[in-house]
Amino acid sequence: MSDVVAAAAEQSAPKSTRAGRDVGRRILRSPLAMLGLVGTLLVLAAAVLAPWLSPHDPTSQNLAHILAPPIWAEGGTAEHLLGTDGLGRDVASRLLHGARNSLFVAVAAMLIGSGLGLVTGLVAGFFGGRVEALIMRLGDVQLAFPFILLAIAILGVVADRSALHLILVLGIPGWIIYARVVRSRVLAEREKEYVQAARAVGAGSWRRLFRYVFPSVWQVVPVIALLDVGFLIIMESTLAFLGLGLPPPSPTWGGILAEGRRNMVVSPWLPVLPGLAILVTVLSINLFGDGLAAVIDPRLRRGGMRRILPPSLTAASWHDPGTAARDESSPAWPVATGEGAPLLQVRDLRIDFPATESTVHAVRGIDFDLRRGETLGVVGESGSGKSVTATAILQLLDPPGRVSTGQILLDGEDLARASNRRMAQLRGRQLGMIFQNPAASLNPVLTIGYQMREALRQVTGCTRKEAAERSHRALLDVGIPDPARVARQYPFELSGGMNQRVMIAMALAASPRVLLADEPTTALDTTTQAQILRRLVDLTEEHEISLVLITHDIAVVAEYADTVMVLYAGEVCEYGPVRQVVDDPRHPYTRALLESVPRVETADERLVPIPGDLPDPRAQRTGCPFAARCPEVMDVCREVKPPRFDIGGRHDAACHLWAPDRVAGSKP
Amino acid sequence: MTGRVLVTRLGHMVLVVLAVMTIAFFVLRLATGDPARLVNPPGTPENIIAQTRAQIGTDRSLPVQYLTYLGDAVRGDLGTSFRGAQSVGRTVMAALPNTLSLAGLAILFSAAIALVLGALAAWRPGGLFDRLVLGYAALAQATAPFWLAVMLILVFSLRLRMFPAIDMSSWRSFVLPVTTLVVALSPVLTRTARQSFLETLNEPYIKAARARGLPNWRVFAVHGVKSASMPIITLIGLQLGFLLAGAVVVEAIFNWPGIGKLILDSLASRDFPMIQGGILVAAVVFVVMNFVVDLLYTLLDPRVRAGQT
Repeated sequence: MSDVVAAAAEQSAPKSTRAGRDVGRRILRSPLAMLGLVGTLLVLAAAVLAPWLSPHDPTSQNLAHILAPPIWAEGGTAEHLLGTDGLGRDVASRLLHGARNSLFVAVAAMLIGSGLGLVTGLVAGFFGGRVEALIMRLGDVQLAFPFILLAIAILGVVADRSALHLILVLGIPGWIIYARVVRSRVLAEREKEYVQAARAVGAGSWRRLFRYVFPSVWQVVPVIALLDVGFLIIMESTLAFLGLGLPPPSPTWGGILAEGRRNMVVSPWLPVLPGLAILVTVLSINLFGDGLAAVIDPRLRRGGMRRILPPSLTAASWHDPGTAARDESSPAWPVATGEGAPLLQVRDLRIDFPATESTVHAVRGIDFDLRRGETLGVVGESGSGKSVTATAILQLLDPPGRVSTGQILLDGEDLARASNRRMAQLRGRQLGMIFQNPAASLNPVLTIGYQMREALRQVTGCTRKEAAERSHRALLDVGIPDPARVARQYPFELSGGMNQRVMIAMALAASPRVLLADEPTTALDTTTQAQILRRLVDLTEEHEISLVLITHDIAVVAEYADTVMVLYAGEVCEYGPVRQVVDDPRHPYTRALLESVPRVETADERLVPIPGDLPDPRAQRTGCPFAARCPEVMDVCREVKPPRFDIGGRHDAACHLWAPDRVAGSKP
Repeated sequence: MTGRVLVTRLGHMVLVVLAVMTIAFFVLRLATGDPARLVNPPGTPENIIAQTRAQIGTDRSLPVQYLTYLGDAVRGDLGTSFRGAQSVGRTVMAALPNTLSLAGLAILFSAAIALVLGALAAWRPGGLFDRLVLGYAALAQATAPFWLAVMLILVFSLRLRMFPAIDMSSWRSFVLPVTTLVVALSPVLTRTARQSFLETLNEPYIKAARARGLPNWRVFAVHGVKSASMPIITLIGLQLGFLLAGAVVVEAIFNWPGIGKLILDSLASRDFPMIQGGILVAAVVFVVMNFVVDLLYTLLDPRVRAGQT
């Protein structure tokens, strides 16, 4: 019967322990939790002090003065602030005593349920094995059991119903909620080092139980108990309303309401007031409970998931690219216009992930072009900013990530400033993307065919039948022999390689103009990898799609790309036609990358790792990002950021070794 | 669900129903005195009471009565009412559709409301609508269903005369009882729906669907809803007990000729066969609905269907 509480508790049960020291301070800072606390305390005070606060005896009848209106209504008197009921009893006094009775029954029932649950949960969690299996199985049975029916039957027929019956019937079924949560906390706690350490020095298991586990488990129980009390108050009132609660003449909120209902035509306030009392009480308790849960585990704070969908981008949140602090030393990449202009021009792109502590500068002002029909290979290790750049082009950065400066020009249209609506039009039609993890990028509960047709119909506006035909063709294109069968299957029924092919087919089916492929073959074995990449590159050529191929593997780029961009820690190291860069790398990082590729021809398969780590992505940077790991580092590298020095033939390298004065000066 | 799983499930269902029958039987016999005495007015001569006892079969020993009850129940005979000679089976079965329609409508509407509100709230977490939805959930959760029912009657029946307050006559009769149950059921469902939408939106496949050019609403309505509705279905299963309690209250207040009211009335008149019959049928409905929920879950999630998880 406490399923509601169970569900609520599962939602709000704190999952991580925090020192309870600042709980009070944080409650004070949350207005809703404060309101709940104050309300709860007021109701509690009313319940405890009811005998002294009540102006009248709640059971004394005055048949000469029945159904008196409350003080604010016409004919109301200060004698009976909230009027009198059908037997002339003072409503205010009855409500106060009702609070006392309701709270007493609810709290007592909660104590029984939580006591049982605490013990069984601790025992189950700590001893495990058969004991645990038995206890948890019992809990499952109870949840599948229509307990409320028996409760009503028991209370309905029991010879002389008393508070104890009510408390037991309401309290006992609640044990499972506590037991489950406590058990899981114990399991987590058991694994912690200090308990393990205690076991090593031979502390007895009961001592361990209480000394170490109990205090941490103790944090969870009050939140659940609070929510449970709220629920129990409603259940107690419901039973009282049905005539199955405390025996008369004990005033209960449910009972007052049931009696008031008989006179509701004449005195509508009679049924209204006790319901309001319940509402205020339960609302206060729940607010306080939720607040407490949020304080104990901040992840559960309501609205803490704000980061899922980004706030709509407004012009105000943008730096003007014209006035933004662009590196003076770096020769600006002019924006080309007209016939021969590149399809995609990215200019001074900066991507930040702001956080309260410090902002991660994932991409720090990169410029590049993607020409019509070419394949641009983007190489870099994890953290270089290559995936983030691709997602930024689609405007699908994970919040709080945002493009803080720069332009992403697709045929002259700046995607960084495009509206959400416009981007939705461009995605799929003009811009396609293949994500890293194909299995996670397909909806697990929809068939492959559905997902393909859905996207195709959306993008091309074709009919269902056309969409089916086109997706079959697309699946055949990527080397799937039986598209009809695959279309009926779910992603989990396919191998990684098949899912990867499906993703590629999906991206190609709509013939976007730019396709961003982010590590499209990572999860696959080398042979399949080569097959799929070849197919991908061939198909993009066939459909005249410009491809951005993102990978950590410079060998892949050397094999399939026309142009290559080497990224390091959010900056461009080297950029140029693939043959030039691979045959004559200028940047020490590019060289290191090429050296780390196992060479088959020399039979030397040793990987040459690059010593050192990536620089801190949060730090402000002076000088070259690669300086700390560079074998050819010079003094200037640590102080001055190297601009992208032109090598000639669209080839450039951001390295002081290629500074024109140095190159000129070193000439014999 | 494979055949073996199905058989185990059915076995569990039978066990639960059997347990309910057994507990109900013994609680009724042990918690109260002699039913023959309860049925007759106080001061009835002993010979009349003995006569009643023989008539309703309580003169035999308790185990014999229990086994007779079980045996008859298996054969579909739920006995005869203590009051009058109506067949319990027929009376209960006549009441059943009324409860089922009430509960079914309540589940449908609550689930729909929870999905819509949860989705809209999750669309912009922390936004105005989200706060309104959470506010509604908090208020509805703190509202006693019986009070709401009485308030609805007060406003819509007595004042505005829009809907009937009692009895089942036309579709209008359904409005107030169903509303009461929906308000009782929807807050937990709504909060869960919101939460599971928020979690679903974090999945990579949502981003991938947007990258394919699907508009946000479609990603939300198709990809979000299908994944986010699964926890709701599980939760509905967990809430059935609460719904049952709500149905009893609502039937009592709206004078609804369903199982809940039947049980309450029979309790008042100590009509043991009728109470047992009502509880038995309600227990069967409960386990069957739980089973249906599991089946639905299986239908919606192909991974469960294939026995992967």
